[in-house]
Amino acid sequence: MSDFPDLMDLAYRILDDQLVDVDGRRCGRADDIEFEGGLGDPPRLYAIISGSGSWHRRFPRRLRGIGARVFGNGVSGADVIRVPWNQIDEIGAVLKLKAKARELGLGQGDYREGVRVAHWPKS
Amino acid sequence: MKKVLGLALGILAAIGGFVDIGELVFNVQAGASFRYSLLWAVVLGVIAIIVFAEMSGRVAAVSGRPVFDVVRMRMGLNVGLVTLAASLLINLITLAAEVGGAALVLQLLLNFKVGTMILLAAIALVLIVYFVPFDGIERIFGYMGCALLIFLVAAIHLKPDWHQVARGLVPSWSGSWLYAYFAVGVIGSAIAPYEVYFYSSGAIEDRWTVKDLNFNRVNVTLGFVLGGILSAALIIVSAEVFAPLHVSPGYLGTTALGAEQAYGAIGLLLALLGMLFAVGGAAVECAFSGAYSLAQFAGWEWGKYRRKRDAPRFTLTWMIFFALAFVIVESGVDPVQLTEYAVIFSAVALPLTYLPVLLIARDPTYMGEHVNGIVGNVLGWTFFVILLGVSLAAIPLMVITHGGAS
Repeated sequence: MSDFPDLMDLAYRILDDQLVDVDGRRCGRADDIEFEGGLGDPPRLYAIISGSGSWHRRFPRRLRGIGARVFGNGVSGADVIRVPWNQIDEIGAVLKLKAKARELGLGQGDYREGVRVAHWPKS
Repeated sequence: MKKVLGLALGILAAIGGFVDIGELVFNVQAGASFRYSLLWAVVLGVIAIIVFAEMSGRVAAVSGRPVFDVVRMRMGLNVGLVTLAASLLINLITLAAEVGGAALVLQLLLNFKVGTMILLAAIALVLIVYFVPFDGIERIFGYMGCALLIFLVAAIHLKPDWHQVARGLVPSWSGSWLYAYFAVGVIGSAIAPYEVYFYSSGAIEDRWTVKDLNFNRVNVTLGFVLGGILSAALIIVSAEVFAPLHVSPGYLGTTALGAEQAYGAIGLLLALLGMLFAVGGAAVECAFSGAYSLAQFAGWEWGKYRRKRDAPRFTLTWMIFFALAFVIVESGVDPVQLTEYAVIFSAVALPLTYLPVLLIARDPTYMGEHVNGIVGNVLGWTFFVILLGVSLAAIPLMVITHGGAS
């Protein structure tokens, strides 16, 4: 826990957290966190990365190759979505977003399957 | 008043829902082989699941996080993925065992070929889960599962030596590996982890807040203690009926004969009905539990109250689970054998989901004033050590005793 109540540990508190869009729809997890700024510049929190395509980079080195094959190797917009940090509305039990999941490119899998399932009885 | 009624109904459902195929296999065999001397393992298992479920319910109510959310947060991606894979596999084996168990009971009731009964059980379960609203499902299986109380009545009717029963409640060591194996099995089947994942996810779906913490405490304590008494009754009945005859009930149908011994055909019928609904209900919880785990870990939308089109991958997951379980049992694997694997492997993997829940439950960042107190921490860590011991001993014991055969 941080000694300063108004500070928050990134990896401890935000990494791996649930993303929920403005309509309350669960739409992915904070699978990675991205900073901007090159060497010599002050780093600034830039984006949350969501999607299984980013997982292999967190695996032990030997398992990264197979991880990329199983969970995707990080195609932006497909198996990895960048959510700009300024789209985060609130940090609570979940990371609440300011926009709808679809506008940010999140929750595509649920959307795709949802269209199919909608044809089923009592769906 | 409404709350009291809700609690009473919840507890009734918990009694019917506590006993699943794990107890029907392990407790009955433990009673037949070791009479009352493993009753303490039921007590230990029940306290362990009370501690685990209370923490999971409290974490869910206070921090808004179900078990696999917590696993992902505290164990990180890598250990989390291993935990997820292990849990899904165990869930699948357990589900297959429950579906197979339901099919065996249906076969005894209807006297058709077992292959047909497996198909019937799987289709009936999928249709019920698909079409019946969730509250209804919980009640159908929970209340009908209470027919198992016939075992409790039978246990009293058979006039066991209560002095011996009381002695069985005190942990002892008979010096045999087989005894240790059954101790692990009885403890492992009491703490079915899928029940805890299901419970904590349900708490999120019912939007629990700190106001529900007392409800949580009473619900887990009463529900699991009463369920535990029923599960102890299985041991007692088996000790009275099978142990003197040196029968080892390796076939699920034998279990019901314990009730027949006391109450004839009515007893047999009630026992079979209770078993059918207990394993059926467990199958439903198990399939949902698998879908919860995967959806929570991956961040998908989930929920049993959501429309299927709104949580489609969650819906597809529980359906795929049923389909895979069907294939496994239809391939001819013995459900009793599956149950033994399911219980032993779930005991092995249990610390992986127990630890992150304990870590969050004692973390004031997430829990504020509802963090574990001294008693909570002592109980939490004590049971972590016990469960770790059980986990490490489980596979060696299974190998040494050839899965309880010798």
